[in-house]
Amino acid sequence: MNPQDLLTLFDAAAMTALAPLIALALGTLAVLACGIIPGGSVVRPIAFLASLAAAAAYCVKTLVDGAPATLVLDGTFQSGPTTAVWGLVFIASTLFAWLYSAHYYEEDAPFKGEHDVLMLATPIGMMLMAGAHDLLVFFIGLELLSIPLYSLAAFRRDRIRSIEAGLKYFLLGAFAAACFLYGAALLYATTGSLSLDVFADPTRRAVILDQPLALVGVALIASSVFFKVSVFPFHLWVPDVYEGSPTPVTALMETGTKAAAFAFLLNALAMLPNSTAGSIALIAVITMAAGNFGALAQTDVKRMLAYSGIAHAGTLLLGVAGSLNGDPARGGAIEAALYYMAAYVATAGGAFGLLALLERENKGTTTLESLKGLAQRRPVVAAALTLFMLSLGGIPATGGFLGKYLVFSVAVRAELIPYAILGVLLSVVALGYYLRVIIAMYMQSPAEGSVVPESRPTPFATTLASVVCAALVIGLGILPRWFLEVM
Amino acid sequence: MELLLLTFLPLVGAFLILLTPRAAAGVQRGLALVTTLAVAALGIKLFWGYEAGGDPNQYLFEVPWFSLPSAYAAPTLVYFRIGLDGLSLLMVTLTAVLMPVVILSTWGHVEKRVKEFMVWMLVMQTGMLGTFLALDLVLFYFFWEISLIPLYFLVGIWGGERRLYATVKFFLYTLAGSLVMMVAIIAILYQHGTSNVYDLINLLCRLPVEQQLWYFGAFALAFGIKVPLLPFHTWLPDAHTEAPTSGSVVLAGVLLKMGTYGLLRFCIHMLPGAAVAASPWMMALGAIGILYGALLAWAQTDLKRLIACSSVSHLGYVVLGLFALTPAGISGGMLQMVNHGISTGLLFLLVGMIYERRHSRALDAFGGVATVMPVFAVFWVFTVLSSVGLPGLNGFVGEYLVLLGAFQASPLWSVVGLSGVIFGAVYMLMATRKMLFGACTNPENKKLTDLGGREMALMVPLVVLAVWLGLRPGDFTSKVEPSLAQVQQRILEARQRNATASLGLETPGTAAATAPATNSGAEGVAAR
Repeated sequence: MNPQDLLTLFDAAAMTALAPLIALALGTLAVLACGIIPGGSVVRPIAFLASLAAAAAYCVKTLVDGAPATLVLDGTFQSGPTTAVWGLVFIASTLFAWLYSAHYYEEDAPFKGEHDVLMLATPIGMMLMAGAHDLLVFFIGLELLSIPLYSLAAFRRDRIRSIEAGLKYFLLGAFAAACFLYGAALLYATTGSLSLDVFADPTRRAVILDQPLALVGVALIASSVFFKVSVFPFHLWVPDVYEGSPTPVTALMETGTKAAAFAFLLNALAMLPNSTAGSIALIAVITMAAGNFGALAQTDVKRMLAYSGIAHAGTLLLGVAGSLNGDPARGGAIEAALYYMAAYVATAGGAFGLLALLERENKGTTTLESLKGLAQRRPVVAAALTLFMLSLGGIPATGGFLGKYLVFSVAVRAELIPYAILGVLLSVVALGYYLRVIIAMYMQSPAEGSVVPESRPTPFATTLASVVCAALVIGLGILPRWFLEVM
Repeated sequence: MELLLLTFLPLVGAFLILLTPRAAAGVQRGLALVTTLAVAALGIKLFWGYEAGGDPNQYLFEVPWFSLPSAYAAPTLVYFRIGLDGLSLLMVTLTAVLMPVVILSTWGHVEKRVKEFMVWMLVMQTGMLGTFLALDLVLFYFFWEISLIPLYFLVGIWGGERRLYATVKFFLYTLAGSLVMMVAIIAILYQHGTSNVYDLINLLCRLPVEQQLWYFGAFALAFGIKVPLLPFHTWLPDAHTEAPTSGSVVLAGVLLKMGTYGLLRFCIHMLPGAAVAASPWMMALGAIGILYGALLAWAQTDLKRLIACSSVSHLGYVVLGLFALTPAGISGGMLQMVNHGISTGLLFLLVGMIYERRHSRALDAFGGVATVMPVFAVFWVFTVLSSVGLPGLNGFVGEYLVLLGAFQASPLWSVVGLSGVIFGAVYMLMATRKMLFGACTNPENKKLTDLGGREMALMVPLVVLAVWLGLRPGDFTSKVEPSLAQVQQRILEARQRNATASLGLETPGTAAATAPATNSGAEGVAAR
C-alpha cells in the first residue's frame, strides 16, 4: 500500500468520523504516560476528562454540522449523526463510571492509573462497534471493549468474587468472540465479503439468506451479540459477573456494553431474516420474564439490578424485533433504542453509582436489609435512588418512561401486539422489586440491634455524577424535545 | 394560564416545603394549608367563571411539548394541552375544594415525617388536577401514572399495620391496567397521528365497532381497576383500611373518580360505538357491583373497611348511570361522582376522628357514643343520611337520576341497583345503631371527648356542599349540561351507525367485506 492510498483511505470525511476515537486513543496513551511521569496522579484525571471532552466535542460537532450518514474508510465505518449520538451515550456511560470509581478503590489506590487506562479504552471499542459496517471492524471494537473489561471485572484482586467475575466473563466472552469469528468466516465463505453491504441489496440479501451456511453464520453472530447484551438464553453469566465486578465497572458493562451491542444489532439488522421477527419477539419476552422473575428473588440490590438489566435488554430486543417486522424504514427503532439507552445510561449509571457509594459506607454489599431506614439517614441519596428506581420501572416524568413508550411503540406498529402486552405486564413484575428498594428505604426501619453504618461525607465526584444523572433522568422525562430533535 | 397555575401551584408549594428544615412541622403544615386554600380559591373562581353556554373547552392552555419520532409517517406532535370542559369541571372543583379539608384533617393524626407527608399530598394534587385537565392523550397518561406514586408513599409510610402489602397491591394492580392502556394509546397515536383528545373524539367514533371495542377494552381495564369495578375491586378495601385518614379521603374523594372520569371521557365520549355495544355488560358490572359491595359492607366489622366496601357499591351506581347512556343516567353518574366524594370523604374523616380518640375501628368496641359525643353523632347521622340518599341531601338526586336513567336502558339492572339502595340503608343504619346508640357499656367509650373546633370547621364546607347539592343540584348540573349534551349526541350517532352497520351485515356482499376486520382485531388496528 503506497502513501497515496493511505491518504485516500483517511480522507477528510474519515478523519472527521474517527476524530472522537483518535481523541480517546491519545487520551488513553496520555493517561498511561501519567503512570511513569512524576506528579502523574494529579495530571491523570485532567488527561482523562480532557480526552472525553474532546471526543464529546467532536461528536457534537458532527451533530451540529448535520452531515448525512456516509460510509468512510473504504466502506467499513459509518459516520453520521446516529453514530455521533451513540458516541455521546458511550462517553456519558464512561464518564459516570469513572466519576463513581474515583473514591471506590481507596484501598487499591496504587492501581488507579491502570484502572483509568483500561476504562478510557472501552469507549473506543464501543464507538467502533456502533459505527461498524464491516464484521471485522466490529470484531476489533468488540475486543477493544472486552479485553479492558475482563481486566476491570477482576480489578479488585484481593477479592475472590471479583477474580471469579473476571474469569467467568473472560472465558464466556472469549467463547462468544470465537462464535462471532466463526460466524463471520461462514458468512465470508458464502458471500465473499465481510461488509454489511452485501445485505443492502434486497435481491442479493434474499439469495444469501437462502443458504443454510450463511444462516448458520448469522445465527452464530447473533448469538455472540446476544451474549453481549445478555439476552436469554445467553444471560446466565450476568448476575455473577455483575455482582462480583467492582460496582463502577458493573455500571459501565451494564450501560456502555449493552448500548454498543444494540447499536451494532440495529445497524446489522438486515443480516437477520425478516421471518425471525416473531421468534426474536418471543426471545425478548422470555428474556424479560427471566430477568424480572430472577430479580424478584434477590435480596442483594446489585444482583437484583443485574437481573433487571437482563429484563431491560429484553425490552430493547422487542424493539429490534419490531423493526424487523416493519418495513425497511425500521419504524423509528433506532430513535427508540437511542432514547432508551440514553435514559438507561443515566438511570442505571446513577443507580449503580449510588450502590458504589453505599457499599463503601457499609463495608460490604448493599442488601435490602442494609437499605432500611436510609431515607432517614441519607434523605438525598434515598430520593435519588428512588428516582432511578422509578425510571428503571418506566414511571412517567422520568426518562425511563419515554424510552419504554418509544420501544413499545415500535413493537405495536410492527403488529407485535400480543408480545407488547406481555411485555408491559412483565414490567409490572419489575415494579414489584423496584418498589421493594423504595419500601426498604422509606417504609421500614433498621432491624433492632443492627449496626447502622456511619455516614461519611459524599465525595464530590459522586455528588457531581449523581446530580448529572438525576438531571438527565428528569430532563429526558419531561423535556424530551431537546433530545428527540438532536436525533 | 389560570389552569397552568392551578395545576402547578401545589407543586410550587411542595417545593417550598422541601426547603424548610425537617423539624419545622408547623411551618410545613401552614404552607400546605395556604397552598391548598389558594388552589381552592382559584378552583372556585374558575368554576364560577365557567360559562355553561359558551365554548365547551374553556381556559385552554397549550404549548407543543415534543414530537414522537416515526419513520412511517409524519411525527406525532404531542402537546402540553390542558383545558376545562363540562366533563372535568366538577371533578377539578371537587379536587380543589377537598384538599384544604384533607390537609386540615391531618393535624390530628400525622405526627411523624410531616414534611414528606405534605410534599406528597401536594404532588398528588398536581397529579390529580393534571389528569382531569389534560386534553392530550399522552399528557393524560403522564399525569395518570404520576398520581400513583404519592399515594404509594402515603399509604406505605403513614398507613396501618399491613400498609406495605396494601400499598404494593394498590400500585401493581393499577399499574397493570394502566400499562395495557398505554399499548392502546400507542396504537391510537400510530393510527391517527394525533394525540389531541378533541381531534380523537372526532376521529375514533368513525371506526368500526370491532376496532373501537379493542381500544375500549384496554381503556376500560385501566379505568375499571381504578374505579374499581367488580372483579378488580380487591385492592380497594386493603388500601382504604391501611391508608391514613387523609389518604382515604383523597382516595375515595378524588382518586377513584379518575377511573369513572376516564370511563366517561374516553370510553364513552371517545369510543361511543363501543360504549353502546358494551353498555349491557358494563351496566351489569355496575349493578352487580352495587349489590355485591353492599353485601360486603354488611359483613364487615371494621368501620373503615365497611366504608371502603360501601365505596365499591357507590361507584357501582356511577358506572351503572354512565353506561345507561341516557341523559338522566349520565348526569346522575356525574353527580354521583361528586356526591360520593363528599359523603364518603366525610365518613372517612369521621372514622378518622373517632379512631384518633379510641384507637379502634371495630364496630363491637363502640356503643352509645352519641351520649358522650353528641356533636360527632350529629355529623355522623347527617353524613350517613347523605350517603344512603335521603331526599333533600346530595345522595338522593344522584341515585334517583342514575336509577331512572338505568331503568330507561335496562329495567333489570336498574332493579338490581335499586335493591342496593335498600341494602345500603341497612348496613349504614345498622353500623350507626351499633356505634352511636344503645347503652354506653364500654368504660373506654365514656372517656371520649367530643369534636373540637378544628374538626367541626373542616367538615363544614363539605356539609354545606351536601345540602346545596341536595337542594339545588341545578346550580351544578347546568354548568356541565352542554358538554353532556355533546356526549349524548355522540351516543345517538353511534347508535345509528351501529344500527346501519348491523343492517349492512345482513346483505351478503358487505358481510364478506367486514368479516376479516372482525377477525384481525388488534392487528388490523395497527396495520392501518
